[in-house]
Amino acid sequence: MAPKQEKPLTGLLRDLPIILAVIALFYALLSLTRYWTGPVNTQPVIHLQPGALPKYALFSLARITVAYFLSLIVTLIYGYVAAHNARAERFLIPLLDTLQSIPVLSFLPPVMVAMVALIPTRQLGVELGSIVLIFTGQVWNMTFSVYSSMKNIPRELLEAAQVYRLSWWQRFVQLELPYSAIGLVWNSMMSVAGGWFFLMACEMFVLGNRDLRLPGLGSYLQTAANAGDTRAILWGVSTMVLVIVMMDQLIWRPIIAWSQKFKMEQVEALQVPRSPILDLLRRSKFLSTAAAITVTPAREALGLFFARRHLAPRPNRVARKFPAAWILGIAALLGLLYAVVQMLIELGRLTLPDFRAILLGTGATFLRVELTLVLAGLWTIPVGVYIGLRPKLSAITQPIAQIAASVPATALFPIVLLFLIRVGGGIGIGSIVLLLLGTQWYLLFNIIAGASSIPTDLKEVCDVFRLSRVEHWRRLFLPAIFPYLLTGFVTASGGAWNASIVAEYFHFHGQTISTTGLGAVISRATDSSNFSLLLGATVTMAALVVTINRLLWRRLYVLASTKYKLES
Amino acid sequence: MNPPAADKLRASLSQGNWDRALTQLERLDPQVAADLFMSIPFEDQEVLFRQMPVEFAATLAGIFPYYHTYVLLHSRPVDELNAIVDKMSPAARMQFIDELPAEAWQRLMNELQTPHDAAAAAAPELAAPAIPHAPLEAPIIEARHIEKRFQRPDGTSIQVIAPTDLAVEPGIIIALLGPSGSGKSTLLRMLTGLAPTSAGEVLWHGKPVAECAPNVAIVFQSFALFPWLTVLENVEVPLVARAMEHPERHRRAIQSLASVGLTGFENAYPKELSGGMKQRVGFARALAVEPEILFMDEPFSALDVLTAENLRGELLELWLGKKIPTRSIFLVTHNIEEAVLLADRIIVLGRNPAKIRADFRVPLAQPRERNSAEFLLYVDYIYKLMTQPQLEAGPPVPGETKVPYQVLPHARRGTIAGLLELLGDRGGKEDLYRIADELHLEVDDLLPIVEAAVLLAFAKSDKGDVEITPEGKAFAEADISTRKRLFRDAALSHVTLLQQMHSALANKSDHTMSLEFFRDLLREHFPDAEVQRQIETALNWGRYADLFTYHADSDRLSLDELGVGARDH
Repeated sequence: MAPKQEKPLTGLLRDLPIILAVIALFYALLSLTRYWTGPVNTQPVIHLQPGALPKYALFSLARITVAYFLSLIVTLIYGYVAAHNARAERFLIPLLDTLQSIPVLSFLPPVMVAMVALIPTRQLGVELGSIVLIFTGQVWNMTFSVYSSMKNIPRELLEAAQVYRLSWWQRFVQLELPYSAIGLVWNSMMSVAGGWFFLMACEMFVLGNRDLRLPGLGSYLQTAANAGDTRAILWGVSTMVLVIVMMDQLIWRPIIAWSQKFKMEQVEALQVPRSPILDLLRRSKFLSTAAAITVTPAREALGLFFARRHLAPRPNRVARKFPAAWILGIAALLGLLYAVVQMLIELGRLTLPDFRAILLGTGATFLRVELTLVLAGLWTIPVGVYIGLRPKLSAITQPIAQIAASVPATALFPIVLLFLIRVGGGIGIGSIVLLLLGTQWYLLFNIIAGASSIPTDLKEVCDVFRLSRVEHWRRLFLPAIFPYLLTGFVTASGGAWNASIVAEYFHFHGQTISTTGLGAVISRATDSSNFSLLLGATVTMAALVVTINRLLWRRLYVLASTKYKLES
Repeated sequence: MNPPAADKLRASLSQGNWDRALTQLERLDPQVAADLFMSIPFEDQEVLFRQMPVEFAATLAGIFPYYHTYVLLHSRPVDELNAIVDKMSPAARMQFIDELPAEAWQRLMNELQTPHDAAAAAAPELAAPAIPHAPLEAPIIEARHIEKRFQRPDGTSIQVIAPTDLAVEPGIIIALLGPSGSGKSTLLRMLTGLAPTSAGEVLWHGKPVAECAPNVAIVFQSFALFPWLTVLENVEVPLVARAMEHPERHRRAIQSLASVGLTGFENAYPKELSGGMKQRVGFARALAVEPEILFMDEPFSALDVLTAENLRGELLELWLGKKIPTRSIFLVTHNIEEAVLLADRIIVLGRNPAKIRADFRVPLAQPRERNSAEFLLYVDYIYKLMTQPQLEAGPPVPGETKVPYQVLPHARRGTIAGLLELLGDRGGKEDLYRIADELHLEVDDLLPIVEAAVLLAFAKSDKGDVEITPEGKAFAEADISTRKRLFRDAALSHVTLLQQMHSALANKSDHTMSLEFFRDLLREHFPDAEVQRQIETALNWGRYADLFTYHADSDRLSLDELGVGARDH
């Protein structure tokens, strides 16, 4: 409870940071607009002095933010439609499955060509291309999360909504969106982290004979790597880490703390995530006044508007609805058919060496990904279990590990490569290190979570029967963390395939370093505008990832959820 | 027999001196008097009984065989009949009512509830079928021949609710009572329009439910509150949906919360409240819309005993004090006592497929005493109904000649043994509701155990009692290994599914078989959820009886070598 009598000055002081933040945001938007609407400049000089970094960081942050909101809108629409329309669902969900397994870079040529053609004279065109590219790396897992949340709303809540005749809007705002919130927040964090990971690829690329680059942190790092400027690389990496940590503290922590109210729990949890920033926002008079004159009336008006519309009798609504749906469906089908035909024609242009490259690359990347997973497992399983079994230790290590994990591996890559080249390893080892850097965290966090959920009584049973250390692992630890381990491996495996496009092919010191692999094939095809090769390699990768998911992971999931589930 | 007394009585009767005959009888020991009374011609009995003082008539009625009491009672006007039954000693009344066939019971109950009006006093005819209560006002809901079928993947369908007629009239609390899985909730959802009917129609004031968007509210077992909204916002949800604007909406929600005693909790979140408080919010939300009928789907099942009792009392108080802005309450429950405690009318549902087994009034005055004789009569009767599935087997429906497959009651074999031991301790026979009371089991939990014991021929169930059989007694007294053998014998001679499993395994050369085969077999007869439960029960029994072992990894059954060995010896 806030004290009733409060000096106005204290209230103002408390609100000051918020008001300043709003003004800063406004200014940033203004300067961004000026830049985006300016004339095209695809060859800006990327300055390597540290003074340029704040501006670059702002540009990159803006791109990721816009891409994120775009993802959010698409996610809500796509997820809503897929969850509510059974006919659309049958088509949308497999499509999502496929899209998710296509690496970001493969979207590059079509997206860029389309965007530049759409807005040829303004910087906005290229910018939009870059944003859409980041978007393609963010949107799919968010959509999956919203879709599955909406499909899993408890029956009685749905019935309550139905029996009290909620309009679609009220149902969406008061039931479906809140129910999806926790999963959506979690996946949003993952998505934005993914955005940072692929930032370098999304801000600087070659499209045919055009060398496109956009001012930003990603292109800064890429340029620094090209120039072999270690000092600049370190500056860039530090800036990125700083931005990410600040985002985490200023945005994600408060959102996570706030989203706790959407948990479907019957009793209040003992430990609730907290955020001082959220407390500040909640106590702010300025914000609550702003909300009282904007959000509250708007919410009220929208709720009443849709309620009245819902209550009004709607004669022959069914009759009007059908043709539109049919036309839309047929149009979508025709479009799909056209795309498939075009794709087949494009694939027909593949030459024999292309096929060999794809086949060889697939094999190499497959081995590389599996080796990475094995290596990651080898160190994360013992370390994760060790930490997870000791609550005090995990309380200390978790935040550190989280910061470490938030540093995009791609940003570190130049440093790693520099080091490896100095000691005599090449990109062959480098790519594995990069994949490892990118994927090990998923595993570690999941294993810690799994190990800390092992019930004490089971541990005590093992102690009472004096099980040897090997037996401890065989009988208790490994089976108990199996479901968590699996989740970690699935995420890590998908991530590793996707990351191979940046790990196997790198512009460094003014030259291109690459190794045999499917990712390298895709990157090279993008660079040289060999669309048929790009398509062929992409289809191969997507098909492989989907197949592995279906054949291996999904079966293991069934096993995990039946045999190895620790029921409370 | 008392010869001189008999002679004197006959003399009085032959002279037509009824008063003297009565005095003579009253002077005798009641048992002797009853015997004597039974020995005179029936016409004389009727005349004499009609003139008997109420107390004496009640004493004798408690001694006669039930059919005799029943007929004689009907020689008197209804109000006197009422008084006589009232005056009978509780034990005698219980026994009398207990022994009556269901139809006679229902008829008697209907008569007992009828207000003392002259028309009803006219001599009733025994052959007339049981009269369901006659609704006084036009019903709000009328369900005509509604049924529910679930489609199976192969195109055929399983009937879960048989064609049912049901009317909900204003001014009363109706309880829909039935074992779990009997389709109570489905029926409720069809009445509210939440779930479509597979056939038949539900009319609200004569209009199909789909067209008229009825003003209903449901109180859910799981409360179904939105955890991210405060108590007040939760109550406002249906009001927003009705496009009610802010000040008025707020006022109505606060008022509704106040009526269930939640003032001061407006800004709390549901997870901060106890179960009982949450359900109060559920009530407040339901009452806020002033529903024409308030539906409740097991509203007290998720609460602990005391909280539930408290909440029931408050609900009843609100209802009786006409503080609930609703015309009727429709309560779905599996708790017999709850139904008898609250309802003015009880509908008992049978299962596989669900159909109405009984529909009667409970004319007891509120508040009702749980331990009163009348209360227990109703409880006992409902137990009787629910334990005798064959009681009201309707005429076979043409086109559905398929012999029904034996349904395994979902009881773990350990609980069956427990019941038999208890019965053994009690001298072999006991009233069901007493067992339920003593073990703190709801009928829902107890019935499957009793049914299982009956299926295995370890017990007999009759008119709300369970009685142990010699086999059951042997089982209860046996040691562990003998029990296994006895259970195995009983299972193989009485349980169709286990017989099929065992013979299929025995006849296969490798003595193993996929469990899926038997699931397929059952899918012919049951919906998927029921198939799952049938299989679970069969596994529980079959493994205990050493009929087979089940390998969860490969989902296969194989003949138990130990079991085979044991049998060969």
